[in-house]
Amino acid sequence: MALQQGLRPLRRSIWSSQSSQLGLAAQQSRGYASTDIADTIQDLESASSLRAGTPAEDTTSQYDPVGRARRRKIQLPPSRYQFRPPKYYRGPLHPHQPPPASDPASREFQPGPFSLPRLEQTYQSTFAQDLMTLAYTHFPPGYVAPTKSARLRKWEGESPYYKNRPLRGPRGADVLRLLRKPITFRNVPKLERVTVHSMISAAKDDSAHLHVAGMVMQAITGVRASAFKTKKSVAGFDVRANQYLSLTCELKGEDMHHFLSKVIDVVMPKIKDYRGVKGSTGDSSGNLAFGFTNEEVALFPEVEVNYDSYPPKMIPGCHIMIHTSATNDRDARLLLQQIGVPFYGKLVN
Amino acid sequence: MNSLAPLRCLRAPLVKRQPVSQPSVTLALQQTSAFSSTENRQKRNKGGPKKDARITQIRYFLQHPKTPRPLRFSRLRYLRHWTIHRAWQLYQSNLRKSRELELERQYNSMREACEALRLMDGNGMTVEDGLLEGDGAPGGKSGGKIAGTGKDVGRLYRIAMEKKGIWDSVPIEYARIQTDGPPKDGWNHEWSR
Repeated sequence: MALQQGLRPLRRSIWSSQSSQLGLAAQQSRGYASTDIADTIQDLESASSLRAGTPAEDTTSQYDPVGRARRRKIQLPPSRYQFRPPKYYRGPLHPHQPPPASDPASREFQPGPFSLPRLEQTYQSTFAQDLMTLAYTHFPPGYVAPTKSARLRKWEGESPYYKNRPLRGPRGADVLRLLRKPITFRNVPKLERVTVHSMISAAKDDSAHLHVAGMVMQAITGVRASAFKTKKSVAGFDVRANQYLSLTCELKGEDMHHFLSKVIDVVMPKIKDYRGVKGSTGDSSGNLAFGFTNEEVALFPEVEVNYDSYPPKMIPGCHIMIHTSATNDRDARLLLQQIGVPFYGKLVN
Repeated sequence: MNSLAPLRCLRAPLVKRQPVSQPSVTLALQQTSAFSSTENRQKRNKGGPKKDARITQIRYFLQHPKTPRPLRFSRLRYLRHWTIHRAWQLYQSNLRKSRELELERQYNSMREACEALRLMDGNGMTVEDGLLEGDGAPGGKSGGKIAGTGKDVGRLYRIAMEKKGIWDSVPIEYARIQTDGPPKDGWNHEWSR
């Protein structure tokens, strides 16, 4: 300690003598030995108005903005934007059109994105390429895909009513299922949106359940939940029509990626004895779904940190539907497995 | 809805009016302020079970105007916003294009590799190579083997195209979201509670 105190004035004197010798310019460029400051300034000021110098005397004497504004007969329009866009979109032919959603004056304007989710980055840098490589099928040059018969059948028979009738649906189903095209660089499956849905049957007696569930879902997804009415009365469930009993959050883009990475990296590992998502899930067109019970929803970090602010019995369970751009469940499951969703049981396509 | 209840009870004293027929003398004599100094929300609840205070709070916070007032910018601020917006869109489109090109490049090189494997025999010779090096005679460079015949041709290609087991599952270890800087030692073995 004493040694340091003794050294201090010495050090100071050395430093002051150095700085006085080297001068101001040297002091400034001390930290940046690799760049020449003079060059940087040249670059910075090459197009600047600072170089123009002072204006001439006659220009300065003639410059009188206040007097010019007084002499003006018609005032200029104010700089404030006066146009009020219409509240509602009234169709493409209406003369009064709202501004595009990217315009801050628009009612649909949403600022952002504010972050680049890690899940999205990983997908772009790794998962997409790996999925494309995994599912690659080679077609030699000159390959022609065998023609298949039309999926919609004709009505064949003697009946005169078969004439000009719309074509018959495919065998075994009323609707045409989506076709699976070979995966190329153009159609690598990706996440499109996530729907978080919850039916709160207790809300038929007490709307508090609905409100608490809405708050919980807003907390875990970051998106305002929208409530939906029941369409029909069901006597067995003691439900009447037009009751608000369900909540839905639609997640896209940034919100979706954050939510999914939270589900996969935080919530799923915390669930006790979690087996994963059932292998038979899916609507056979690339959308997979799974559910969380109310105890599992309570494991979300947003609920966990202020668990006390929700009545514990009113925390809802929820269903999570993941919509992918894959056209069948197999590809969609492969994508979700890459992201980290575990599956159990028999995998059904 | 019930969520409006706290607001309604605030509004109630304003809505209630004295009947017009009453004389003004009684109106002046009437007690207007409450006898109790207890706040209205803390008053004794006569009907029904008492509500959880947390629910009241949640209802209060859920009452929020849905759409905020649209932003109005002056001329220069609007122009600045527009410039930044256009630049961001341009950047995004360039990014998207470069990603797609990169995927396409990878796909094309995969296809070329598979095509080369398909035409190749066990010695790495294609039919054209065999013809160039001459007739496949026993004294020739190809050691008497003629490429382009036999089951050796395209064997590696057939192996590469096997899809056995790849649709079953991706190993769970694969699924790791990338981080900016992965720690050199992933696990702190010294840690104890």
